[in-house]
Amino acid sequence: MSLLNEEIKEQVTQELAGLESPVKIVMFTQEFECQYCSETQELIEEIAELSDQLSVEVYDFVADEEKAGELNIDKVPAIAVIGEEDYDVRFYGIPSGYEFSSLLHAIQMVASKETELSAETLEILKELTEPVHIQVFVTPTCPYCPQSVILAHKMAIASPMVRGDMVEAQEFPQISQKYQVMGVPRTVINETAHLEGAAAEPMVIAKLQEVIEG
Amino acid sequence: MGLDFSLATPKAKKPSEKGGPVLYDLIVIGGGPAGLTAAIYGGRARLTTLVLAGTLPGGETANIDILENFPGFPKGINGAELAQRFQRQTERFDAKIKTDVVTKVDFSEQPFIIQTAGKEYQARTVIVATGAEPRRLGVPGEDKFFGRGVSACATCDGFFYQGKRVVVVGGGDSAVSEAIFLTKFASEVIIIHRRDQLRASKIYQERAFDNPKISFAWDTVVEEILGDKTVNGVQVRNVQSEETSVIKAEGVFLYIGMTPKTELFTDQLELNEWGYIVTDRRQHTSVQGVFAAGDVQDPYYRQVVVAAGTGSIAAMEAEKLLSDYPGRY
Repeated sequence: MSLLNEEIKEQVTQELAGLESPVKIVMFTQEFECQYCSETQELIEEIAELSDQLSVEVYDFVADEEKAGELNIDKVPAIAVIGEEDYDVRFYGIPSGYEFSSLLHAIQMVASKETELSAETLEILKELTEPVHIQVFVTPTCPYCPQSVILAHKMAIASPMVRGDMVEAQEFPQISQKYQVMGVPRTVINETAHLEGAAAEPMVIAKLQEVIEG
Repeated sequence: MGLDFSLATPKAKKPSEKGGPVLYDLIVIGGGPAGLTAAIYGGRARLTTLVLAGTLPGGETANIDILENFPGFPKGINGAELAQRFQRQTERFDAKIKTDVVTKVDFSEQPFIIQTAGKEYQARTVIVATGAEPRRLGVPGEDKFFGRGVSACATCDGFFYQGKRVVVVGGGDSAVSEAIFLTKFASEVIIIHRRDQLRASKIYQERAFDNPKISFAWDTVVEEILGDKTVNGVQVRNVQSEETSVIKAEGVFLYIGMTPKTELFTDQLELNEWGYIVTDRRQHTSVQGVFAAGDVQDPYYRQVVVAAGTGSIAAMEAEKLLSDYPGRY
């Protein structure tokens, strides 16, 4: 039985009909000790069938260690959404529930390179001289979370210095604990700074500036 | 966790409006049940309709675990699922939904002007359906521990309280139903309520009283949220005896009512003493051509079905105005 029902498939087909350019979904899986690896693989394979512009590559996190290193993948299941180039758009954990829409959003954004970020934000991102890592912790049942994930992905697409990760808190309890996640969305910037709740673009960018200026 | 896949967040649409502002027949501010119902009616009336939904499509509905009193769903329906259905139905009638946040409005003359972070829109008619947001307690510790033990979203954060003791503050439907939901995770849920009886509907009350994990602190208000790095309790006061004490808990979920989101409209529309938009029975506001629907103008009921109803009235009134005065609007 497929993960996506016919109704959702039809909607996804419509959503992806306008993809401007090819998008590659690179997934990392692992045979053992990975709660949703096989479902994640099934999910992206089902989505890939719905658009000619989509292709899928699947790697084993252990056997293809080198490839994982190349894409900075450090946990599974992992999805890298790659367009004309790799913009560091990542999903760790299965993008189910509300996060499914974040995945579709990411696919559309890397295809169009259209982020709709404000001019001020783009200006600040352009000036970045050091790497910025944005991790957004989510649960699939959190309606506020996709906005934060999408924002992190937009910034990753807009700037080669920014990496944007969705991290599904329930699948990575140790990591969630390490970052003291007790509520979602929680946006962690460069390990140290964090924002609680669905912070709007100006708040995230202000926090990011704070981090860089140290 | 059961896997499902939601398309509830609108996708990035390529902006079709290049250059100057675009004039719409109807712009709906807010993407909850009121706003989306208004847009369904607007779209079906062939008005060019835009919904500026803000960051939470579905509005507060998306936060409800199970809605049991929305007609047509005999087994109840998940709030997020219902919100998603509203959204699909809206898109079916060519109303555009954008997640842009409105930053400024000008209702002083026609066409009305609505600004978002990057764009300006013009509208012949506007329906304000910005809803209401959860009220905060306003006690020490609340801001400090928000996201570190203090939450206003049980469906989002319940998972983090597995096997832990939590308190829920409030006594209405939301408080009691979310307390019941939290018993899926928490070892113990204490409902702290400032009165000696619940305001929630009887069916929720019965379920809460029957649930062995739920207990009550009556006539009690929270005075401070305590903790170190994360929450470890709340300091409470009994309003009858004036005695204070500490209730130990690792999570504090707040359901103490709502406050209308009207800050954009304070100098544009007539508001009542509690900040709600004043409307007449046909959803007209103090400015002709501007209507309001849903929780932003409803301090009493706050029901999805009522919000949807007022949304439909507002859209029918907007359509009527546009057809009565085709040149002016």
